[in-house]
Amino acid sequence: MTAREWLLSDTPQSRSQARMGRLYGGWLTFTGNRLAMVGLGIVVALMLMALLAPLIATHHPFAQDLANRLQPPSAANWFGTDQYGRDIWSRVVYGSRLTLYIVLLVALTAPVAGLLIGTISGYLGGWTDIVLMRITDVFLAFPKLILALAFVSALGPGIENAVIAIAITSWPPYARIARAETMTIRNSDFISAVRLQGASPTRIILGHVIPLCTSSLIVRVTLDMAGIILTAAGLGFLGLGAQPPLPEWGAMISTGRQYLLDQWWVATLPGIAIFVVSLGFNLLGDGLRDVLDPKN
Amino acid sequence: MNKFTRSLIGAAFVALAATPAFAETPKDSLVMAWQFDDIISLDPAEIFEVSGAEYGAQVYDRLIGIDLKDTSKIVPAVAESWTVSEDGKTYTFKIRDGVKFHSGNPLTAEDAAFSLQRAVKLNKSPAFILTQFGFTKDNVDQKIKAADARTLVMETDQAYAPTFVLNCLTADVASVVDAKLLKQNEKDGDFGYSWLKTNSAGSGAFKLRQWKANESLTLDANPAYWQGAPEMKRVILRHIAEPATQRLLLEKGDVDVARNLKPEQLDALRSSKDVRIVEAPKGTLWYISLNQKNPILAKPEVRQAFRYLVDYDAMGRTIMNGIATIHQSFLPKGFLGSLDDKPFKYDPAKARELLTAAGYPDGFTVTMDVRNVTPWTDLAQTIQASAAAAGVKIELLPMDGKQALTKYRSRNQDIYIGQWGADYQDPHTNAETFASNPDNADNGPSKTLAWRNSWDIPELTQKTKAAVVERDADKRVEIYHELQKVVMTDSPFVVMFQQVEVPVERASVKGLIWGPSFDNNLYRLASKK
Repeated sequence: MTAREWLLSDTPQSRSQARMGRLYGGWLTFTGNRLAMVGLGIVVALMLMALLAPLIATHHPFAQDLANRLQPPSAANWFGTDQYGRDIWSRVVYGSRLTLYIVLLVALTAPVAGLLIGTISGYLGGWTDIVLMRITDVFLAFPKLILALAFVSALGPGIENAVIAIAITSWPPYARIARAETMTIRNSDFISAVRLQGASPTRIILGHVIPLCTSSLIVRVTLDMAGIILTAAGLGFLGLGAQPPLPEWGAMISTGRQYLLDQWWVATLPGIAIFVVSLGFNLLGDGLRDVLDPKN
Repeated sequence: MNKFTRSLIGAAFVALAATPAFAETPKDSLVMAWQFDDIISLDPAEIFEVSGAEYGAQVYDRLIGIDLKDTSKIVPAVAESWTVSEDGKTYTFKIRDGVKFHSGNPLTAEDAAFSLQRAVKLNKSPAFILTQFGFTKDNVDQKIKAADARTLVMETDQAYAPTFVLNCLTADVASVVDAKLLKQNEKDGDFGYSWLKTNSAGSGAFKLRQWKANESLTLDANPAYWQGAPEMKRVILRHIAEPATQRLLLEKGDVDVARNLKPEQLDALRSSKDVRIVEAPKGTLWYISLNQKNPILAKPEVRQAFRYLVDYDAMGRTIMNGIATIHQSFLPKGFLGSLDDKPFKYDPAKARELLTAAGYPDGFTVTMDVRNVTPWTDLAQTIQASAAAAGVKIELLPMDGKQALTKYRSRNQDIYIGQWGADYQDPHTNAETFASNPDNADNGPSKTLAWRNSWDIPELTQKTKAAVVERDADKRVEIYHELQKVVMTDSPFVVMFQQVEVPVERASVKGLIWGPSFDNNLYRLASKK
């Protein structure tokens, strides 16, 4: 029996075999989607770039060389140089670290908060549900970027504060999704069975409801990554995100736009980087949805 | 259609699209793109910002002015003549007949006296220019008064060099305001201050129509101006923070003048027939200052180290190319006694030595408040990088010009990067602010730059005072040289550049006057073809 046959067996011999089999099936669906693979490739490349930044970059991202400023792309400076003579390629490479840092921090905080609020609200119902959902409504009533702007202005500019602001503004949709899922699960027989065995609400929510909500949430988070990147870049562009001299892509575009007429590369190349990475996350999310969405 | 025809048609479309659509400004209005986020108030008794000073010069008349061709000469304005008494303490001004305020009220000596008294009593930032002559809230009503409707008499506490006193009266703070109108708008004895902050009560060539902070400043012509009505019916100043946007607007004809273009944009415009690049050397300095309240920055070695952490040459050749010249003493070129020494060069190794001597071999971290427009941001980022070479980590805090200035004036900054424009054409204007600090208390009466950086210097303050009463010109120059040397080598100030203002006008614009300081930039004679 080959490994493939073992994985795809219709009669798995053990739980783990069944689980592995399901994962492998998902992987096969995923690899069948060529665009999703492109997305995965881009995201993996981004991670490698962030991880190996010192090896990939040709210059230090902060190293200024005023005599050599605003030079077009060349063999020495692949993406040209900016207004302080810094190498744009190296800055884009190091900027990937900031992008990943923001994306990961937001992805670790906002969905977790949303999941907790949504499942508690959906499972307990009653007053808890009303109060939590009205708070969610309040957050949903503001445009995301505007609310993030308000938070950053209050907290002060900086990359950590940008992460906090984005996390605060992006949890409500997750809470909504988790709540809707919970409502459908809450009254199913297996939950009643657990409850009859005397399990506490905490145990039911943590052990039985949350695991069932995660897959749809993961899809949503992956699809939101592009939005998070754009919001972070937007804050950087407005001077409220990463502060100089950090090579955040949005901030790079912001300063580069002063030179857009004569030195297009200063703003355009970090812009392309944002575009490619956002596209990568969107394609990946799309592919993941096909695999994970229970309704398909 | 073959490939060739298709590409030809394509090219034709591109050419059509590239033809600029001209959005011309109205024939009778002058539109200017400028960064004026530093304006805090429009009251001449409070105006102490570069942009505000220029506004004041259009809307208000002063008693006397300086000759723009020869800045050492004083010329009449609303005072047609003046005399100084034998003892050098009493100044008598004869007020011109027939000058009217925008409100229609005639301008009299009473108005002039009220204006000076008001500035002293309000005691805002620029009041020291007047109070240095011994005027106080309590005695100013006796010391400055109108003998009759045409005669203003002013008495100083001791004999000063007359040119110094007269030079001070050419400052914005000595603008003549409409006493009657202000009294109508007075609230709780504030001399109309809260009203005048956003309104005008002048007799100048223009009157204020509307001010929207960080957006627009609109001036209407005063058809009854005593020196002749301006040809432009209206002047609209638009706050455009981005130099690139300013350039686009200028090239498209949406504005007639762009004030804040960068060196590389000027290079691109030099060959254009549609615009004209004007160069007006200004007595304005670019400097960074180190607040002495910060114990690290207060160490003399650290102060000295900062002088070696600025890459003067590289910045002068690039980001400040054409818009400033390297200058390291506090008196700008063109002022009496100005020192042209440039002893400092970028030298991180030397700076590190000094920092090691101060006890910071690995450097330290400080913050720098930066007005969020170019070239401030460019200067700040370049200094950030050059200072990092010696381990000094500078965190930049970008903010509105207004916000940065307010913070600076309450001494809450670490490092400030700023511009200092002379208030009047006498060396004392800069000597006083850079080298004197009569009272370093938080509520000190004289808020000079030395005070803003908490630099306590009783001896220098005395010397600065002595320079004003020195009647021998050569000796006076000597004192100023000495003061400049001290400030240059051991002070919280690192003077870097002297500004050359480079406004770019559309070729159709004529007659704008770009004077030696911002309160001598005049729109009065502007016209358009």
